Formats: sequence, C-alpha cells, structure tokens
Amino acid sequence: MGRRRRCRVGPDDATRALPEAIAALSRTLPAGPSPETFRRAKFDSPEAAPALWRLLFRVLSPGPPDGASASLSLEAQARSVKSALRSQGYPSQALAQLPDNGSQGSRQLLLALAWLLARGPLLEQLLAQSRVRLGDEMPVCECEALASPGPPAPGMGEAGHVDIRHLQWLMGKLRFRWRNLMASQQEQCALLGQIHLYTRGCHSDRSLGHLSVTETELLRDPEGGRQLLRRLESENARLEAALEWRRREQDTVLGASQPTFLPRSPEPGARELEPVARELQALWEQLQEAVEARRAAWEARHPQLQVGDRGPAWSAARRALDEVVGRDLAALQRAWEPGGGLTQPHGPRRLVRTEARAPGGPGLRASEVIEALRTQEAHLEVVLRQLQGHCRQELARLARALPGLIWIPPPGR
Amino acid sequence: MLPTGCSRRLVAELQNALDSCAERQRQLERSLRVARRLLQAWEPKETPAPEPTPRPETNEEDQFSACTPSPQDLQELELLTQALEKAARVRKGISKAGGDKAPSLKSASIAASPPSRISAPAQASRRAGSHASQTKPPKGIRQTRVPAKNLPEQRLLSVADATYKRRGAQAVKPEPGLRDQQMVPSAAAQAPEAFMLKDKGLWAQLSSAQTSDSADAAATAKAQFLQKMQTASGWPSAAEVGRLQKACSLLRLRMEEELMADPEDWAQEHRCLLTLQGLQAMVGQCLHRLRELHPAAGEQLLRPWPEGRLPRASSPCGGGADPVWSPQLLLYSSPQELQTLAALRLRVAMLDQQIHLEKVLLAELLPAVSKPEVLGPRWPALCRAVHSLLCEGGKHFLTILREDAPAD
Repeated sequence: MGRRRRCRVGPDDATRALPEAIAALSRTLPAGPSPETFRRAKFDSPEAAPALWRLLFRVLSPGPPDGASASLSLEAQARSVKSALRSQGYPSQALAQLPDNGSQGSRQLLLALAWLLARGPLLEQLLAQSRVRLGDEMPVCECEALASPGPPAPGMGEAGHVDIRHLQWLMGKLRFRWRNLMASQQEQCALLGQIHLYTRGCHSDRSLGHLSVTETELLRDPEGGRQLLRRLESENARLEAALEWRRREQDTVLGASQPTFLPRSPEPGARELEPVARELQALWEQLQEAVEARRAAWEARHPQLQVGDRGPAWSAARRALDEVVGRDLAALQRAWEPGGGLTQPHGPRRLVRTEARAPGGPGLRASEVIEALRTQEAHLEVVLRQLQGHCRQELARLARALPGLIWIPPPGR
Repeated sequence: MLPTGCSRRLVAELQNALDSCAERQRQLERSLRVARRLLQAWEPKETPAPEPTPRPETNEEDQFSACTPSPQDLQELELLTQALEKAARVRKGISKAGGDKAPSLKSASIAASPPSRISAPAQASRRAGSHASQTKPPKGIRQTRVPAKNLPEQRLLSVADATYKRRGAQAVKPEPGLRDQQMVPSAAAQAPEAFMLKDKGLWAQLSSAQTSDSADAAATAKAQFLQKMQTASGWPSAAEVGRLQKACSLLRLRMEEELMADPEDWAQEHRCLLTLQGLQAMVGQCLHRLRELHPAAGEQLLRPWPEGRLPRASSPCGGGADPVWSPQLLLYSSPQELQTLAALRLRVAMLDQQIHLEKVLLAELLPAVSKPEVLGPRWPALCRAVHSLLCEGGKHFLTILREDAPAD
C-alpha cells in the first residue's frame, strides 16, 4: 500500500511531522480550524475556544449540517456539545464544567477531539456522511429517522390545560400526513422507475446500467455538472488529507501528556455497579434460557432448515432477516448509547433497476428486503395490538367499576 | 380537560411526530420536483403542470391524431435516416482517425448540427430548455465509450422518435430514453465519471488504511490514550452507571416483548430467535464493559462473563464498523416492486411511531381517567375519548349509554 512509516520518531522527526499531521487534520475536518488554532489550543488560549466548540458541534451533531443547526448560537452549540459528549460516555467532567459562552477550555476541547478520534473512525464517518451522492438513494432501515427526534421544541406556548379533543385533532392530522407521505412516496417511486428505465444504457458503469436523477440532471445542466465537479474535487482533497492524517497519526502527540491535567472527579464507587451487574447477569441467564428453548423448538419444527443448509432461497431470506434484526437492535442500542452501537452497514443504498436474476451478486435485492420488512411489519402490528389490548382491558376494568353505564364497542369489534 | 404537565408532554410528543412527518414530506417533495421536471422533457404531453412554452395545441393534436404514421411521414423519416447515417459515418471516420479532443469536438459538432437543424422544427414545440442544450456547442468533450458507440443509432432513433411523437404515435414510447442521449455530449459527461473513478480509489485507500491500523503502533497508542483518559478522570462516572442501568431496563423490556410475541410463520420465529440472540450479545457487551470498568465487581459474579455472539456473522454485506465507501446497491426489477418496498418501509416507520405514541399516551392518559370520582359527570366523555385514542388509534369511537331507571 505504500505507507510511509516512521518506526523511530526522533525529536526532529516529531517536530517536523506534527505540524504536517495537524495541517492534514485541519484540511480534512469539516469547516476545519486552521493549524494555528490547534496550536493555540494546546496552550489553552481562549481565542481558539470558539472555533473548537463549533468544530465539535459540527462533528457531534447527527446528520448533515443544515441551516437550522448552523444558526444556533455559540452557547447553544456548546451546550449541545456537552450533552453529546456526555451521552457518548466522555469520561472527563472538566469539560462539563466549562462556561457555556464558549470562551474557554480550548485545551479541554482538544482533548475531547483527540478522544473522539481515538475512539473510532471519526474522520471516515464524517466524510461518508457528507460525501457527494450521485445515485438515487433509499434507506432500507429506519434507524436514522428514529434515532434523532430532533431538538426539543422550545417553549410550546401551550401552557396550561389541553382539551382531549385537541389531542384527537393532532392524531387525525398525523394520520393525514402519513397518508400524504405514502402517496408522495408512491409517486416518487413511479417516477424513479421511469427515469431509470429511460436512461438505460447511459451509464459508463455497466453494473449500474442506468442513470440516477442526479446524473440525469448533470447531463441536462452543464452548470450543475461543473458544480458537482467542484464538490467532487473538494471531497477528493479532503480524502487525501484524511489519508495523510492516517499515515502520520502515530506522530501526533496530541494526547500523550494531556490526561494528567484532568482534575479527578468524584467516584460514585464500585458499590453502584453491583446491582446493575447482578441485573445484567440475571438478564443474561434468562436470555440464555429463552434462546436455547427457541433454538430447540426451531430445530424440532424445521429440521430441514438447519444452519448448515445453504439453499439459495433460504440464505437470501435469512440474510435479509439478519439485516433487519441487526438494525432493529442497533436502534435499540442507540437509546442508551448514541455513539456506539452494533456495527452494521447502514444507510441509504443506491437504487438500481435491473432485470438480472443472478443471486449472490453485489447488492441487496428488493424482494429480500420486502420479505424482511413484511416480517417486521407483522411483528410491529402484533406489538401495537397487544398494547391496545392492554388499554382496552384497563378501561374495561374501570368501566366495570362504575355501574349504570352501558358500553357499546365500535362496530367491527 | 387534562392536567397541565400531562397536556404539555402529550402535545409535545404529537407535535414531534408531526414535525418528523413534515420533514420527510419536504424531502420527498424536493426530489419529486426534480424527478417531475426531468420527466417532463421526455413526456411533455402527459404533465398537467403549467409549462413555459405553449403546447396545448400540440397535445391535442398528439392525442387525437392517428396512431400510425402516414406514408408521407415514412418518407420523411427515410430521408432523415439517410442524412443521419451519413453524418454518423463522417463522425465515426473522424473519431477513428483521431481519438483526441480536437477531432472529436469537430465531429461532435458536425453530428450535433444536422440533427439540431432537422430536429429543430420537429421539436419546436418542445421545451426551451432541452432545445438550448442541444444547440449548445459541446466543449471539452471526450467521447465516452457508451455514447460514442450508441450515438449514431440513438440519433437515428431519436429524430425518428421526434417525428413519430409529433404525429402522436404511441408505439414509440419505449424509445424516449435513447432519444435523450443526444444531450449527452453537450455536457461534460466524461469529467465527472473520471472523478468518480478517482474518488473510488481514495475511499478504498482510506478504508484499508484504517483497517490495517489494528496491527499498528497507532492503535496501541490510541488504546493507551483512551485508557489514560479513563483512569485519569475517575471511573465509573455516574453517567456510565446510568447508561448501563438504562441499557439493562431497555433490554429487559425488549426481551419481554419478544417472549410475549407469538410467531405465526417460520420467518417470524426465526426473527424472534435472532433478536433474542442479539439481545443476549448486547447484554454480554454490557457485562464486558462493566468488567472493564471495575474488575473487582466482575469477580463477584460467579459465572464467567458471557461471550455473546453477534447475530450478524452470516451477513455478506460488509459487516465492518467502517462507513462503507462505495454506495451499496439495492436492486429492484419493476416500479411496483420499488413501490411495495417504499410503502412497507414507511409502514414500518409509521408503526414504530404509533407504538411509541401509544406507550406515551398510555402512560399519561390511563392515570388521567383512573379516578372517575374526581372527574364526576365528565368522566364518561373523557373515557370515551381516551378509549378511542388508545384502543382504536383515534379512528373509532364507542358509545356509552347511561342506564337510567325506567320511568314509570
């Protein structure tokens, strides 16, 4: 691969390599602060703090930056950064104690950045998030949409009591919006199908075969094409900078001596962990039992569908199920750990219209996803019905307590 | 009327749901606009949307005229075809000889002008946009493989297409895609493709540079750094403990949900099994983290902490932690299939939202109606409303009759 390695980092090497590494880092980060800012931050200079707060905000907020999040004040961004770091499990309390106005703490912020970089493929994730998308993409899972409920609406303005009819009205409005959404979605699919059909044979990449909406637009509109080119160029520049950073990573001394500056925070102590540990252990045992029971039942009921059996239909459906379950659980994990999560290939996939029937080719087939989604739909319907049933029972119980009223259920029940 | 706190929370939840729906709608509308605009150029007579160029006469004509071309048309077509063949031969000859920019520019412009001249009257009724792009001088073009090969035929078919369309022949429908490929050389098609390819190279390098990290000195340095941070700040932070507790309760809830469910077919059964296995793995991860945080606590657990197996081992789709560099593909074979998929996806999202709302409503509303004596005469009405919201999704209502003593 041609990686240049520095096995022995002498002092001269370090002083030379570090600025270059920092420069690469600043080129690859979105709205990256200049290397000078990083240097100042190392000395805890207050001028560097706002830039770093903004950088961390950009890095930690989920999804691509839009106008709304960019226009948040520095304070709001600082608060958001703090809460995001907390929920990712950032161990230092010192950062939480920094003032909200974003005027201090550049060294702490640098430390936080180093922590984030050390923890995972942060740069790659950022780059992947903001990459230029040329295809028509459709997300196969819903975890992106569900994970971030968005910033809480500030001050509802509905202080005080609310009539239940208002709630009924809101529910109705919601139902209506979903219906609209479904209809629009159907239209979009039909249109996409047509465009894909019409541009058959136009794409230079044979495996794709047809153009996407973006690509068709590109061809229609040379100006747009030039813009796209520019975006691709800048993306390439960032990719190259990221590669550069990766090559030089071990040369950076970002965090080597920093942790000693962190004040000790009060320890809740090991005692707090014990009940959790016991609970988790109990849970694990219960799950173990359940899994074994189900597995035995499965093997008894479907002896032909053993693990070893790799018939094509079975494995395709099973793949799809695996994916759905994996995403489901990842979404669950997000509820308490937004940062981590089961590692899954998530995210939108490029739509390709093809007549090819080759199994095991690249990419997921729509039919498999449909199967998996149907299973999930059925499961969710069961859960919803159970919840509703539970409510019905409760209300019936209340009703029975009051004689003198006759309850007539709605027709069809 | 509902109590204040309860009202506020419920309204906030519902508003949240409405907002996320609205956001999706906005995004969809955006892409719909683009797609509609693109398709209008191919099938202008189908769109009811207002168009800048006046075409209603042509539309009528198209719809009411005969479906088959007249002999005159066929003749015209023949002439056109010949002219285009000649132009194509000229261009092919030049591009074979040269193959670099200058001749291809010339040839492209030669090829571009006859069709544009001929097709100009034919497409006089078409949108100004597509017209402009045809006659625009192609600059900076390097013939790509695909268009170069197909263009002569495309040109033929495309102009033939235009004539047909003018007479309203329906049979020509499958061809419009090819017709529009004449616009291909008029944009810098090659350059973005080149960049796409270059771009892929970089992404691949990045992901391999990253995966090879694990054997690297950088990885150990990183691990040490993380460890130092962890110990320097004192563990386990209250947040960590809280998280683990939350994880525990959520996992338990989910397990109970799964155990309650009664699978109806093999797919559901298998899904249930996979989910339980996944849950077990996640509990294992939590226990592992616990042990990392406090080795002493780990010792008190008599069993060895479990090696959970992630249920994704069999997936062929990467399965790495890295963001995937090449966009993964989703293959579909017909618009109906795509529609089914999209509809199901939305349905799953909607059900998810409904379940969440149901839980929230349940938590707030059941207590609100649980004291009939407090609410007095308003209780039946409230109860009826709550029943409808909680048990019927707000769609159906039950009837409550008061059983009065019969008047004698």
